[in-house]
Formats: sequence, structure tokens, C-alpha cells
Amino acid sequence: MRMLMKKEIRLSTLLLTWLFIGFGFMTLLPGYPILCGVFFITLGIYQSFQNAREANDVLYSVLLPVAKRDVVRGKYRFVVLIELLGFALMALMTLLRMTLFQNAPVYRQNALMNANLFYLGMVLILFGLFNSIFVGGFWKTAYKIGKPFVIYVVVAFLVIGVAETLHHIPGLEALNAFGYDHILLQLSLLACGALLYALMTFLSCKKACADFEKIDL
Amino acid sequence: MHIVEVTDLCKAYPAFRLKDVSFSLEKGEITGFIGRNGAGKSTTIKSMLNLVHADSGNISFFGLPLKENESAIKQRIGYSTGSVNWYPRKTIREILEVTRGFYSHWDEEACQRYMDLFRLDENKRPMELSEGMKVKFNLLLALSHRAEVLILDEPTSGLDPFSRDELLEVFRTLKSHGVTILFSTHITSDLERCADSIIYIRQGEIRAACLKSEFMQSFGQADETLEEIFLRLEREARA
Repeated sequence: MRMLMKKEIRLSTLLLTWLFIGFGFMTLLPGYPILCGVFFITLGIYQSFQNAREANDVLYSVLLPVAKRDVVRGKYRFVVLIELLGFALMALMTLLRMTLFQNAPVYRQNALMNANLFYLGMVLILFGLFNSIFVGGFWKTAYKIGKPFVIYVVVAFLVIGVAETLHHIPGLEALNAFGYDHILLQLSLLACGALLYALMTFLSCKKACADFEKIDL
Repeated sequence: MHIVEVTDLCKAYPAFRLKDVSFSLEKGEITGFIGRNGAGKSTTIKSMLNLVHADSGNISFFGLPLKENESAIKQRIGYSTGSVNWYPRKTIREILEVTRGFYSHWDEEACQRYMDLFRLDENKRPMELSEGMKVKFNLLLALSHRAEVLILDEPTSGLDPFSRDELLEVFRTLKSHGVTILFSTHITSDLERCADSIIYIRQGEIRAACLKSEFMQSFGQADETLEEIFLRLEREARA
């Protein structure tokens, strides 16, 4: 698996994918739908899938002395690596907004979502959706990337729209907590996001391994 | 024990069917796999590499079933197909650096030797190579990890006559070291020069799998070359 990760990083991945992790800094943008940062990070991953397809990466990998399911798992590990790096950056920026900048007027007077632990939970859910819809969808054919990506984009922006405005619904104001307000609720929401991410990624990977096993290359 | 054994392999596509394909390969033998375009050569070869899923049948290498021992078997076999472009924008050096890590028996000396023989420049990228040089690069990957079985799909197509001659010499040397080679080709003159056995496939069915001398005796007429036999058989089948 270590060698498959090396292959992913050295041969399959575009520099763009690494650079797009930087969209995690969007967490600091005031008055902007900050969850869109997730979309740009996943767009970077999508670019690498496109590059890998043009480079015959899947066929090359399958011919290596590894089981077919490991080729799928290697790709998932790489995707998770990029996502977790993006998440770490977003978490760092969120921490800044929860502490140093918690009373900054530009963040306080913001109709959209605040950067807090609920936001980080939603980040993980969006990454989970990317893994389920796009990455899982890719392995049904091992070459079609357009359709699963379009479906992911539609679902992702619906979820972003809902998550960014949810706190305006009476009774859900706590979702937009500042600093350490409602910390137990915030922590629970982050834990739910993490659990859903792990579940979506695990189930998607398992199904992708089975799907890829059936494909003729 | 046969080094490679394919038994009752079947695969149905909407417009084509592979029917009960069976043959075996012996250690240290060169076997030519001949048949027209669309006869089933590539489907058979892809099934042997688990790239295509057969509807039924068994494939084993070194006495081990392919399905349960895929990665262990791939350590011991090499595959090359025509002029596929692997990672066109990476240098040959980068591709080799990653690839060698996958093989426990990677032979750096052999790799360098074939690099020299094929005149490959490791600073070049596959997109900068001619079709013939891409074939050579693919062969380099297949030849550099002490493979005991080489499965080569059209390894000589796109090569100039001198390179083909060099490659056939490489095959003969590998054979003398006990390497088993299966190669599909349309250039039957290559088989006349180096094959020990012939597998002839037509419309998804194996019509012959025997020693080349037996094939010439059973199917050939007076003074016919392998190519002439092949052409006549195909014409007769069409008539």
C-alpha cells in the first residue's frame, strides 16, 4: 500500500491538487459561503483523476503486482490524505476564528455560516459525499468522471446552501455559535460529521472494490 | 507441471464469444499466439492478467490459481502491450523509480542493459517517444524484474526490422535462461524464427495448440511457410 501511495503522489497526482488544498484558507473569508472551500479542494482531486485517466493510470496500476482491490484502496487513501490535509488547514483557520477573531465585526455581522465546529462537521460530510458520489461513481467504470462529478456538484451545492443558512431557522441559532458557545453541541456535531465521513468513505470504498472487480479493462 | 495453464475459458460479448479456450505453456518455451484481428487473442491475454473477467474457466500460473494469487503471480510475470502511453508527461526515470519499488526481484542491471540495447533515454517522456520506442519502453518494464513468464501482446509491431531482430535475440537469450514467453503477433515470420509452439485461434476458438513442427506438419502443405499456412487457413474458413 505504501508503494501505491508513492505511485499516486509521484505519477498520478497533479501539482494543482496540492495547491488547491490552499482553498482551506477560504475559511477566513468574511461574508462568503466558506463551505465552498471544500468544493475547490475536491475540484483539485477531480483534476488528478482526469490526469490519471489520460495517463492510463488504472491499467498501469492493475498490471503491477498488487490485487485489484488494492488499486482502489490506494486511490481512496490518496483522496483521504488530500481531504485530511485540507481539513487540517480549515480546522486551523476555524480555531483562529473561534479564538483570536471571535469578536471581529466582519465575522459577527455575517448572514452566512460562521466558522465553528459545526462548520468543520459539515466540511467532513461534504468530503464524505465526494467520496461516495464521485470517487465511488468513478470506480463503476474506472474511466467516466464527468457524470459522477456533476452529480456530486449538484448535491454538494444543495448541502452547502442548506448548511450556510440553517442557523436562520428559529431554534437552530446555536449552529452559528461563536467562540466556545454551545461547545458540547458543537463538539457533538463535529463528531457526527466525522462519523458520517468515516462511514461514507468506508462503505464507498468497499462498494468500489466490488464494482472494480467486475469491470473488464 | 505446466508453467501456465488455461482451461475452458469462456467469455461472451454481445458480438463476440470466446469458446472453451484451453492451452498450456511449458517452461523455457516460446509460444506464438496467432489469429486475425478480433479472433480473441487480446481477450485471452487480458483474461490471463485478470483485466477481463471470464464467464467461466480456470487460469493458473506456476500451479497457482490466478484469482487467489493475483499479486504473487504478477511478481513473477511480465506483460507488455504495443505502444500504450503510460504517464506521457512523466520522465522514464520517474516511472522506473516508482515501478521498481513494486517488484521484490527488480534487476537494475538488466534494466540498464535493456535501456542501452533499446537506446532509451531516461530523461525523455513517453509523449516524446515514437511508437516503436514506446513499445521498447513497455518491453523494458516487462523485462526488468526477472519475470519467469512474459506475456507480450504484439511486441514487435511498430519496430523497425533491426530492432525486431534484436528483440528476437533477447527472446532467445531469455528462453535459454528458462523464461517462458507467450507472444501474440501478426508478423508470422517472427514466429518462424523463434517460436517453439503455436497457438492458433479463430473466431474465439482454439484451432491448434501444439509444437510449431507439428503445426506445420498437420496444417501445412508442401514448402508452405507459417504465414502461407495461416493465410490459407483463414481463406478456407471464410470460403
